[in-house]
Amino acid sequence: MLSGITLTGIHEWEVPLGYVPDMRVSGRLFLSETLGEALEEGAARQLANVATLPGIIGHSFGMPDIHWGYGFPIGGVAAFSEDEGIISPGGVGFDINCGVRLIATPLTLGDLTDRTSIITELFKKIPTGVGSKGSLRFSGSALDELLGRGSAYVIEEGLGLPDDALLCEENGHMKDADPDLVSEKARKRGEPQCGTLGSGNHFLELQVVSKIHDPLTAQAFGITEGSICCMIHCGSRGLGHQVCTDHIRNMEKASKRYGIRLPDRQLACAPLTSSEGQNYFGAMAAAANYAWANRQIITHDLRTLFESLFRIDYNEMPLIYDVAHNIAKWEEHIVSGKTQRVCVHRKGATRAFGPGRAELPGKYRDTGQPVIIPGSMGTASFLLAGTETAMQKTFGSTCHGAGRVGSRKAAKKALRGSEVSADLKKQGIIVMAPSGDAIAEEAPSMYKPSEEVVRVVDEAGLSRIIATLMPLGVIKG
Amino acid sequence: MVNQMGIEELEHTADVRIRIRAESHEELFTLASSALFSILYTGDCRIERERELKVSGDNIEDLLWDFLSELLYISEVESFVVCETSVCFIGNDLYATIRGETFHPERHGGGREVKGISYSDLFIREMDSMICSEIIFDI
Repeated sequence: MLSGITLTGIHEWEVPLGYVPDMRVSGRLFLSETLGEALEEGAARQLANVATLPGIIGHSFGMPDIHWGYGFPIGGVAAFSEDEGIISPGGVGFDINCGVRLIATPLTLGDLTDRTSIITELFKKIPTGVGSKGSLRFSGSALDELLGRGSAYVIEEGLGLPDDALLCEENGHMKDADPDLVSEKARKRGEPQCGTLGSGNHFLELQVVSKIHDPLTAQAFGITEGSICCMIHCGSRGLGHQVCTDHIRNMEKASKRYGIRLPDRQLACAPLTSSEGQNYFGAMAAAANYAWANRQIITHDLRTLFESLFRIDYNEMPLIYDVAHNIAKWEEHIVSGKTQRVCVHRKGATRAFGPGRAELPGKYRDTGQPVIIPGSMGTASFLLAGTETAMQKTFGSTCHGAGRVGSRKAAKKALRGSEVSADLKKQGIIVMAPSGDAIAEEAPSMYKPSEEVVRVVDEAGLSRIIATLMPLGVIKG
Repeated sequence: MVNQMGIEELEHTADVRIRIRAESHEELFTLASSALFSILYTGDCRIERERELKVSGDNIEDLLWDFLSELLYISEVESFVVCETSVCFIGNDLYATIRGETFHPERHGGGREVKGISYSDLFIREMDSMICSEIIFDI
């Protein structure tokens, strides 16, 4: 572990006041000894930088998949008070509401006899990679509706099941969204891209439920051992990227105007009460809605393909849940014994609300929300449940994935995409992507072991492991 | 990806971090454009189209950030693959001419999407009588 950071509880470490100048609160990291060895100094510094921002409550948090990003670390969580706090695009990231969803199917391994052809069909059906465009184009009033209402709008257009929106965090739309605050440039980028996967670490993966750890909760979540699920990971595409770009400059000016000292320009921010802060919030919420619509359209394409490939019904592929990884939201939390409305930033982190929260769909209110944690291409993914401990310790937050450990540069130097694909094929995992580099950069060895990340959040009490899912085939951008 | 003289890829866990060394600000901006497009697209690029753009900024770093953000926008909405860039500075403004061709998935596909140009650790400064810059592209 880096010097100055000390163990204070089960997998819980303190980044003390003074780790960087002007910290208002201390930092809290959730790491095992092994993950602690891989902690980058840059990531710890970014976590401490967040602690200097006005109105931060409790601590600046780092989840076990923490790594060096820009502004906030990836795996960073921070909550800000309503009257004194700030909102920062650097605490959300360029890919607003990048997130992940899990879809159940009635299929089992025996139904997937020719896995290569299934993955080939998916690769043909779902647009992936740079320059790809969706089969539907949303512009004018249709784009306004989509930005204002997210999942619900595209479901009404016939692209989903009635319950799909309710089975998303925020019911698939943030009500504070204001489409008028989304610039013309952002709209132009978004018009052709809804229903596309993108590139980088985004993917669609077929998985088999290999182990149930908690049968009762698994039953509530609607999954059984041996069944096939589909995981989709993507975000708000060029529209969200442009919203972030549009607002960073404004926020930097606002930071100066409101006398906020920034240790990193990418932490540019504005008070939540300011017009600049509220304008960003409205535009960010609209981009978040675009991301939910995007994942919904990909879900629709998957379901229609599987209807024809396997002769199963559209209704037999329910959404288990959809969670956001990059977002800032108003939430109620107990602070110093009192319920307070706070703005929680999660950047590369997942909401993990425990049992009893009114925001959860009725069927998950007794179990805590489903938390979906993707592994890297060749490793296990996990379904977990939110906990009361997460509510008490981390503003209801947990990890979001395996977390990178190797750079893209190192990956391309050390690995060839064709060899990574061949290795995965030997394990029965079929990978398709537009280029070998895309596969090499996302190779399993470039990520922390997902089992270790999930073990830490489970043992620290931030979420409970419900099921393990193993990869069968993946398409990437 | 980037192996052009004056452009070096540095280690960065999540994103692509580039160091550029140039003899002038004009050359630095031209190399930064090359670095961006070598991440976005693969394959050869032919000069079949030309376009001009102008950006304004309070200082040279803001100009670079605006310039790269604008190139990213143009490449995406106009399906423009850029292979040549020339720039000139007049007052606080940058005037650029970009040349290239329309994106063809079969020839240019397989690159990496750039989500944005990070403000984190972005700098331009003189070092050893060269102009040096570091830029993080969010992938």
